[in-house]
Amino acid sequence: MTTVHHEATDAGGEPVDVRDPRLSRFEIVKEGARRDDIEIVTYESQFQGHNSKAERRVVRNIALLFLIAFLGGLAFVIFYIAWPWQFELGSTLSDYYTPILGLTLAVALFGIGFAILAWAKKLLPHEVSIQRRHDQPSPSDEQLITGQTMLFVADELGVQRRPLLKGAVALGVLPLGVAAAAPLIGGLIENPHKDDPPMMFSTGFNQAFNGGKPVRLTRADGSPIRPEDVSTGGQMTVFPGIPGGATNEWADSPTLLIHLRSDDAQETRQAADADRRNKGSMWGDYVAYSKICTHAGCPASLYEQQTNRLLCPCHQSQFMITRNAQPIFGPATRRLPMLPLDVDEEGFFVAKSDYKDTVGPDFWERP
Amino acid sequence: MTSDTRLRRVFSRRRSAPSRVRRRIGAAVRMLAALALAGGVYTAFAPGAFAEDSPQLSTTAQEGKQLFDNSCISCHGREAQGVVGRGPSLIGAGAAAVEFQVGTGRMPMTRQEAQAEEKQPLFDKTQTKQLAQYVQELGGGPQLPTGELTESLEQNPEALARGGELFRVNCSSCHGFGGGGGALSSGKFAPSLHDASPETIYAAMLTGPQNMPVFGDNELTPDEKRQIITYVTMQLQEDKDPGGLFNLGRYGPVTEGLAIFAVGITILVFTALWIAGKS
Amino acid sequence: MKRRKLDLAQAPAAFGRGVDERFQAATPLRGLLNKVFPDHWSFLLGEIALFSFIVLLLTGTFLTLFFDPSMKEVAYQGAYPALRGTEMSAAYESTLRLSFEVRGGLFMRQMHHWAALLFMASIVVHMSRIFFTGAFRKPRETNWAIGVTLFLLGFLAGFTGYSLPDDGLSGTGLRIASAIMLSIPVVGTWLSASIFGGEFPGHLIIGRFYIAHVLLIPGILLALITVHLGLVFKQKHTQWPGPMRTNTNVVGERMFPRYALKQGGFFMSVFGVIALMAGLFQINPIWLFGPYRASEVSSASQPDWYVMFMDGLVRLMPSWQLYIGDYSIPPLFWPAVVGLGALTTVPMFYPFIESRRLKDKQIHNLLQRPRDNPERTGIGAMAFTFFLIATISGGNDVIADKFHISLNAMTWVGRIGLLVLPPLAYFVAVRICLGLQQHDREVLAHGVETGIIRRLPSGQFVEIHQPLGPVDDHGHPVPLEYGGWVVPKKMNRLGALAPAVKGFFFPVEKPTEAPVSPGMPPVSPREEREEITSAR
Repeated sequence: MTTVHHEATDAGGEPVDVRDPRLSRFEIVKEGARRDDIEIVTYESQFQGHNSKAERRVVRNIALLFLIAFLGGLAFVIFYIAWPWQFELGSTLSDYYTPILGLTLAVALFGIGFAILAWAKKLLPHEVSIQRRHDQPSPSDEQLITGQTMLFVADELGVQRRPLLKGAVALGVLPLGVAAAAPLIGGLIENPHKDDPPMMFSTGFNQAFNGGKPVRLTRADGSPIRPEDVSTGGQMTVFPGIPGGATNEWADSPTLLIHLRSDDAQETRQAADADRRNKGSMWGDYVAYSKICTHAGCPASLYEQQTNRLLCPCHQSQFMITRNAQPIFGPATRRLPMLPLDVDEEGFFVAKSDYKDTVGPDFWERP
Repeated sequence: MTSDTRLRRVFSRRRSAPSRVRRRIGAAVRMLAALALAGGVYTAFAPGAFAEDSPQLSTTAQEGKQLFDNSCISCHGREAQGVVGRGPSLIGAGAAAVEFQVGTGRMPMTRQEAQAEEKQPLFDKTQTKQLAQYVQELGGGPQLPTGELTESLEQNPEALARGGELFRVNCSSCHGFGGGGGALSSGKFAPSLHDASPETIYAAMLTGPQNMPVFGDNELTPDEKRQIITYVTMQLQEDKDPGGLFNLGRYGPVTEGLAIFAVGITILVFTALWIAGKS
Repeated sequence: MKRRKLDLAQAPAAFGRGVDERFQAATPLRGLLNKVFPDHWSFLLGEIALFSFIVLLLTGTFLTLFFDPSMKEVAYQGAYPALRGTEMSAAYESTLRLSFEVRGGLFMRQMHHWAALLFMASIVVHMSRIFFTGAFRKPRETNWAIGVTLFLLGFLAGFTGYSLPDDGLSGTGLRIASAIMLSIPVVGTWLSASIFGGEFPGHLIIGRFYIAHVLLIPGILLALITVHLGLVFKQKHTQWPGPMRTNTNVVGERMFPRYALKQGGFFMSVFGVIALMAGLFQINPIWLFGPYRASEVSSASQPDWYVMFMDGLVRLMPSWQLYIGDYSIPPLFWPAVVGLGALTTVPMFYPFIESRRLKDKQIHNLLQRPRDNPERTGIGAMAFTFFLIATISGGNDVIADKFHISLNAMTWVGRIGLLVLPPLAYFVAVRICLGLQQHDREVLAHGVETGIIRRLPSGQFVEIHQPLGPVDDHGHPVPLEYGGWVVPKKMNRLGALAPAVKGFFFPVEKPTEAPVSPGMPPVSPREEREEITSAR
């Protein structure tokens, strides 16, 4: 198509007979477009003359892009099959497997993409068409008819005339809706307060889970802990010494056991003993707080041993260890619960009882 | 009353003034006596200032003392007793603490700030060891063990996985899953582990520098410490990321979100500009 | 025996006739082939979202062939040595297996995750374009509401998706999700217990998220995207004002072949970008995060960027707790439930709010330049600033660490910035819009500055302006009406430069025309123009 077609005005003139053999294909297309309210205003080739040097150049470039795409795709397949990909520690060839796949596939895809785009932008004739919109509202009688039709449907159903039916329909349909929702809600619904002891208010350190005996503090591997296992200025993550105590079964039980320096411990003890619930919960210079942040439940584990602040990494709540773990910064509002500590006859740490405060993030029923 | 007269007599001077020589000798004797008195009083009350000058320090420690007296004394005081408001006492800090702080260049600290920054060490390895020996002999404390600080994976294949588990329980909350470090409150931070040597890591765990908690040998046994070091060096430091040429710092979503806008959306907007232009 | 001749030349026509006999497709098909689409680079942004969604579906299907959504505990014995022997859920284990024991599995996983980030990024960019150009006005309010819903659905799809591997980072996110549910008054504990099947984390959540992520959400997304595109098709795309463009037409090019080729090429480019990023940049290295344990966490924990604004709001919220008798409403409730709820539903009504405010009930098919509606642009700038500060605050610990800023200071900067910067952004945006409007009018009234200074006989220096339209007898330009489109402000936009010679190494024979709008096709040869000189 190297001829230039210009139509300055809408061809609203005489109808065109598409079967006329003298019509060119383009003219038939234009007639079809006209029937869709489209006017092709400009349709001109981007090149002058037939098979010009510029056109051949563009064609060569597009062919080159397709070739690059082919090579990229081929490379992808070859590397996919032949390059080592099994994981090995260290710096090995297999670490380049994913990057190679990505690069070759990208070359293939960009190649095809740019080839197609170059074809559209540079080879195809330049075109401007105008299509008329039809977004006026429907003719008013059409609107009237549809409205009346809908009202007629309501009339035919006759619910308005038959009040008994109205009530009956409402009565009958209602349980269907509820019946559809019932298994979904009923099956899903879970009472958070059904257990005894209630799960929202107890952790693995509750003696009910240990046959009424005080629960030992253990490491992640289950071994119990002596006081000398934690150095001054150190901290250890401890779990309840019950089956599965260190797993996600008891996700609210992880505890931070801290061995404070004596002056810090003195300060902490004063604050604890002044509090009704935390009184006597320390053992020597050791204090144990729940690790589960009272804001949103992340483990608050960043213990700064010199400033005695405990930072939670999720939303930056900071708790003052020497002041009953009161929050001093960030969105948390409640202090971390303190675990009452004791040491049993064999010299291992035990919890005298469960936490006296509720562990974990706040909820409605938490007083 | 005649007390007046008696007093006067007691306090009256001698009839004749002493000779010049006698006066001079008397002055010298009085001076010596005063000095002896002052010196004696001082020696009696001064803290055992010269006690450590005794030949009980080893040669290495003597060298360390020279270095210490030049560079550390202004904040840590004579014999590492500490200076209020400037530097804590190093009695009991141990050789490990010195190897950590001086070996990473954190000490000598350039200025008082929230946290000592790692920088080019002022002392080389030998000097660091000398300083460490000096502090150790001053007041004792934890020391780095001898021998390999990483496990060999041929002999101990579970060391890597065990180390990883210990790392995630104890270390990642401050240093990050990828060991890239993390922020602490009010300007402090847990540094990146990417360039830490095994000695540095061991010493840090053992001594709990600044706000890092202390992980004594009863809490993390030397074996467990070695496992953690194995994980940090072999997995976090040496293993090349399999997922790409750039790991975006292993920080997770922050750098990933930045990358999608900086790379993805940018490339596509330029492509869209090429495709359709600005009509 | 008579054999029916198979005439291959007639086969396409025969096929076409067969289709038309059954479906009467001839006229609709012609309408489709000829449909006119306007052309502007910013109209392609929504398509980035569409194409990345297609990539998500393709790569996601691959992932489902390998993923096991079970929370059963297993001990890992796979190819990644640093986790061998570690107890983990089957979901995590299957993700590790996909990453390290399936050829190309890691690449597919990364393509899926990058495509998700690109999907959300392009939705935000596309939404901004729609907003700032007023494309949401009547009759397209429904499409805008659908679009806002698509953002929310994409948010949920991404959240459920990255939680599936049950790794240390996304498990922490689940913990926060449980806390958010708990914070809801009255029903919070029941909601969290029901969704998790008991106390957190339970054994059910990964399986439930799986079905939400691969079936429920994609189903709704597909349906809504179809409606969204269908509406664009039916109502026709909006267009910029310009020559020959009116409120009742569409000026552009026909769908086939040019426009469709451009779409196809762009799809390949989007796919190419996803593949490139999946190869070059590692994303979501779950093997470093370990399996989720309630006692483990990492510094620099945040959700994916499109959820990060919510995390930022949660970080910035002060510790204000409401006590009502024996009950409490924690501060987490306000940003996470009320805030998120409002931010995703209130924008749906913006078209109606604006039309009521401006008392505008007309149909708008022409776009508005942002400067022509300063109030809307200001509101958009405000919303964008709010979103940006919230998102940056979601990553404030990483910023604090890497730029040596106090973490506490970052929180305060975020809190104050969130309240102070949006109004400031509004003010600045409105002033800039008004300034730009004024400059447009000035150029229309006085002409383009040419930079040529002429000295008058009186000694006065004047700059010569090139009028954009006719001049009156005194040589002053007749003031022109502002047409709602770009006013040329530089001489090269008027064709004052000599045409550039095209070609990289060698010149091509046909020099390009100076850039003109495609609405102004070269209908006649270029006129001779008087060269502008500085002499008399």
